[in-house]
Amino acid sequence: MNKKIPLKQRLFRISHLLFAVFLLIQILPPAMSKIRGKTELAIADSAVHAVVFMAAVEIMLIAVSLTVKKRETLVLFSDVSAFVYIVFIAWTLATAKFNFISEQLFPPPGIVLRQVITDVTPLLGHISASLLLIAKGFSLACVTAIPLGLVFGSSARFGTAASMVSKFIGAIPPVVYIPYGIALLPTFKTVSAMVIFLASFWPIFGGTMNGIMLIDRNIVNSARTLGVRRVSMLFDITLNAALPQILLGASQALTVSFILLTSAEMIAARNGLGYYVKNYSDLGNYTRTIVGVIVIGIVISLVFFAFNRLQRFLLRWK
Amino acid sequence: MKNKIDISGLIVEYGERGGKNLALDGVTFSVPEGQFVSVVGSSGCGKSTLLYVLGGLCGFTGGTVLIDGKPVTGPGSDRGFVFQQYSLFPWMTARKNVMFGVAQVRRGYPRREIRAVADEYLNKVGLTNAAHRYPSRLSGGMQQRVAIARTLAMGADVLLMDEPFGAVDAKNRVLLQELLLDLWSDETKRKTVVFVTHDLDEAIFLSDRIIMLTDSPGSVYLDIAVEFPRPRYRDEMMKSIVYDDFRRTLFADFFGQKEKKIERDSFII
Ligand SMILES: Nc1ncnc2c1ncn2[C@@H]1O[C@H](COP(=O)(O)OP(=O)(O)OP(=O)(O)O)[C@@H](O)[C@H]1O
Ligand SMILES: [Mg+2]
Repeated sequence: MNKKIPLKQRLFRISHLLFAVFLLIQILPPAMSKIRGKTELAIADSAVHAVVFMAAVEIMLIAVSLTVKKRETLVLFSDVSAFVYIVFIAWTLATAKFNFISEQLFPPPGIVLRQVITDVTPLLGHISASLLLIAKGFSLACVTAIPLGLVFGSSARFGTAASMVSKFIGAIPPVVYIPYGIALLPTFKTVSAMVIFLASFWPIFGGTMNGIMLIDRNIVNSARTLGVRRVSMLFDITLNAALPQILLGASQALTVSFILLTSAEMIAARNGLGYYVKNYSDLGNYTRTIVGVIVIGIVISLVFFAFNRLQRFLLRWK
Repeated sequence: MKNKIDISGLIVEYGERGGKNLALDGVTFSVPEGQFVSVVGSSGCGKSTLLYVLGGLCGFTGGTVLIDGKPVTGPGSDRGFVFQQYSLFPWMTARKNVMFGVAQVRRGYPRREIRAVADEYLNKVGLTNAAHRYPSRLSGGMQQRVAIARTLAMGADVLLMDEPFGAVDAKNRVLLQELLLDLWSDETKRKTVVFVTHDLDEAIFLSDRIIMLTDSPGSVYLDIAVEFPRPRYRDEMMKSIVYDDFRRTLFADFFGQKEKKIERDSFII
């Protein structure tokens, strides 16, 4: 594990080659077909944005490569940046250089990047609006579903019944709650939080009960012979033993939450990332639509990255 | 000496709908305080069931089971249980596992004190250096040492052990047996031990007395004292002629019983 990584391995990576390729394709002449004076300028200008961004990625990669301790992290970072380079190379070629795709629908990377920079403040506002809703619905689901799951799961009689009910309700695609929510609840925010709560509740509830049913008999017997009392049994033993399954349910819930939130925001919101995408695609501003899609992707990835870290920490004993 | 455990006419039936499964059929024996008893018998004869009844983990259909003259109604901190494996809480480190056990019997004690007791017993089983590790990072033998430390640290008078070394390799098994004997004889007030195994050599080396159960449904087939002086040294013991003889008779009983059973079965067919 602690073997030193030789400098050669740190720096001779395919990613750097891809970066060079990306720089090289900038020399290619822009697509001639539809170029009018203005667009040509804009594309040339935007290429600068793309190159600066890629250079930043490259510098970061080099910095990480030189300092990272674990080989796996090094490989991960260079693979991720290789992926980013490939996407940008393909994107640049398909748009600015050969114009395979209509530039109206799919602007070159530089223009999208420039748009991100201009829109940074409103984007942050949309991100926090979306995350706030997720946080509300999801955490409400956690604090209700886990205790209820523990109570129902611990009872032999109600456990099987509750588990069947949760399988049935959990099988209903939660999108169907949206129209009901809109009809019944006063504001869009409450609708979204409610729908996210409903959608998150069942996977977490089911996961908790599942976890309890999967507890090793030895663990329970062992706790009983220690003379563990009821409350302690629930919180020190059952909850911990069921934790892997609870977290599994929670990660499903989180996935569903994001899908629902963006769908809900597309239907009836005044802010949030889903609204941003929907609004600008309605207005025919595809640069911003793509910005929105990419930002959604990044935000979801970061949330899941954080969630996985938390999960790894909570299950460090496995 | 007064009896610590009194079992008489114990019947345990596992009732599944339709077919009833008789696991124990009239087990009767008593264990005086401070005695080390091994219960042996072939697989499925009801050894674990017997121990679970003593531990209060399993109800019974008939008979009486007394600890210190009082009927067993459920698990209690007067009895410590060591299972064959996987009985540590995997989300607690070795030390936390022992501390958690100690905390159940010393309610309201300051954490510092509980930790000191835990560390003392981890030290006794030679695991001071592994105290911070999670069970998944310990070998099977080490896990059993932690389980033993936890049970001893709780200070129960009666130890119930269900094949505690059954999943440990031969070499570690021998080491663990010696450790267990050392710990057991070190205690000022000797604990009463009921030790389930199907390893006859293990039973002879450890115990004052061996109870052999019949094949399923279990009842007492043989109840025999093991009169080797303590402290016991494995090498010397194994070399003695008395040991050889004793072992041979015991094995003959163990396997003879099976043959008889087979004869009877074939007769029925
Ligand atoms: N929870 C249970 N429900 C129904 N039957 C059971 C249960 N536990 C054990 N039995 C049955 O009771 C009998 C005795 O089982 P027990 O586990 O006590 O045997 P054992 O002597 O400990 O066997 P082994 O040496 O394999 O551990 C067996 O026939 C077994 O199938
Ligand atoms: Mg058994």
